[in-house]
Amino acid sequence: MMIFIGEDYADLGLSPEEMQNRMGKWFAWSQKMDAAGIKHEGEALTSKIRRISGVEKTAKDIASTELKEIVGGYYTVSAKDFDAVEEIAKDFPDYDLGSYVEIREVMVFDH
Amino acid sequence: METKLIDHLFRYHSGKMVSVLTRIFGLSNLEIIEDAVQDTFLKASISWRKEQPENPEAWLTKAAKNRVLDIFRKLKSEQKLIPEIKAGFDSIATEELFLDAEIEDAQLRMIFTACHPKLDPKDQIVFALKTIAGFSTKEIASALLTKEETIKKRLLRAKKTIKKTNLAFKIPQGKQLPERIDSVLNVIYLIFNEGFHSNKKEILVQKELCGEAIRLCKMLLKNKHSQIPESYALFALMCFHSARLDAKINTENELLDLKNQDRNKWSFPMIQLGNMMMNKAVETSQFSRYHYEAAIVAEHIKAPNFEQTDWNKILNYYKCLHKIQPSTSYLLTMAVVCLQSENYIKANYYFEQINPDDLAQRSYLFYGAKADYFAKTNNKKEALKFIDTALEKVSNNLEKDFLERKKKSLLL
Repeated sequence: MMIFIGEDYADLGLSPEEMQNRMGKWFAWSQKMDAAGIKHEGEALTSKIRRISGVEKTAKDIASTELKEIVGGYYTVSAKDFDAVEEIAKDFPDYDLGSYVEIREVMVFDH
Repeated sequence: METKLIDHLFRYHSGKMVSVLTRIFGLSNLEIIEDAVQDTFLKASISWRKEQPENPEAWLTKAAKNRVLDIFRKLKSEQKLIPEIKAGFDSIATEELFLDAEIEDAQLRMIFTACHPKLDPKDQIVFALKTIAGFSTKEIASALLTKEETIKKRLLRAKKTIKKTNLAFKIPQGKQLPERIDSVLNVIYLIFNEGFHSNKKEILVQKELCGEAIRLCKMLLKNKHSQIPESYALFALMCFHSARLDAKINTENELLDLKNQDRNKWSFPMIQLGNMMMNKAVETSQFSRYHYEAAIVAEHIKAPNFEQTDWNKILNYYKCLHKIQPSTSYLLTMAVVCLQSENYIKANYYFEQINPDDLAQRSYLFYGAKADYFAKTNNKKEALKFIDTALEKVSNNLEKDFLERKKKSLLL
């Protein structure tokens, strides 16, 4: 699983032009993975954050502007190992925005 | 299945949406409108990552219509006034405002608002680029070679002025109209010039800005109020200039002056369009600066090669221009034209009248021209002195290389 972490898009003040160009890069990347037949699913997350913590189960809404690092979405792909996913992640379009990709393995349980 | 998106679709759509929504909710709610539009593009850009809709434009228009209701709710909850809305405004009225003709009308209103005399001229261009052309502050800053902070300040100031003076969102009528069209044309031409004579360090030509200016001018020509000879003349002028855009730089990314441009690279369709527009522009007895400037570029284009340029005609056009609107850059150009036709005495007469400081960032052009004058009149020492001064003053790398090459040829 590739998890995308960085500043929320809405807080970056991108112009319509920049958004369209970025979208084009995402589109190309996702098509490349589809063509290779390795992509399974992916989701984009909205910027609304509510955290619940403590024994009191206290809920707190956090504004995305307060955080430089929020999870923006993920893709799951089939690959041999971490190195192979690292190669795939090189096409992630938002490195220049200070965002990064975290690679995690989805655990497979024996039946 | 890949659908190719129209270049700049988001940017164009941004200008449309901001204008239409402003027509509905009034200028006093501009902030909310801009946020809503921004949000729409964010949603689009993320949801289109997976799959782009069959008809992206329709998708965006529908999203904009949905925004109308959101904004209504938002304004209600904030108990803000919605001045321009008549009672009984409903979804039918919304539908109508999203028809193409109405969208163009809203965009024209926006251009005319941006050029309201109550706004500082410097704020006008920034406000226009932001609201009509959908540029971000960062993009405007790099296009106008200004700090982003300054751009933000100008936008704020423009918005404050609009609120304070309670500007009406409409095309002015009667006596005000010609004056306002004048400023609108001026802002469009400024946008074009920023693109054409970009001082950006690496990229000489910012086609984006040129394209935007042409698009705005086209809108003026479609409306009967602004379909005036000056608008046609400006359009023709921008066509003639654009025709030469691709020839300004050679394959080594070196700047080429008119003399060394490959005339085969000029865009013939653009020249034809310019000629058509020029024919419409001259149906008047009163010529504007745009008429003369277009005539000058046309004269360059007409010449089969640099040597056969009709410098006398060009000089006369510049004299007319200088009469309408005296300016140092006209004097400099006239001096350069006289150098071309080897009339050194007259060239000097124009040089004498120039204070290079008036040219601000472009003072290097004066020193470069003066170097040419000395080179042509066999005074190498002075020529080198002036080339060095020009090199000190220049900021654009392409222009710098150009001067360096000139210097080299002097030293041979």
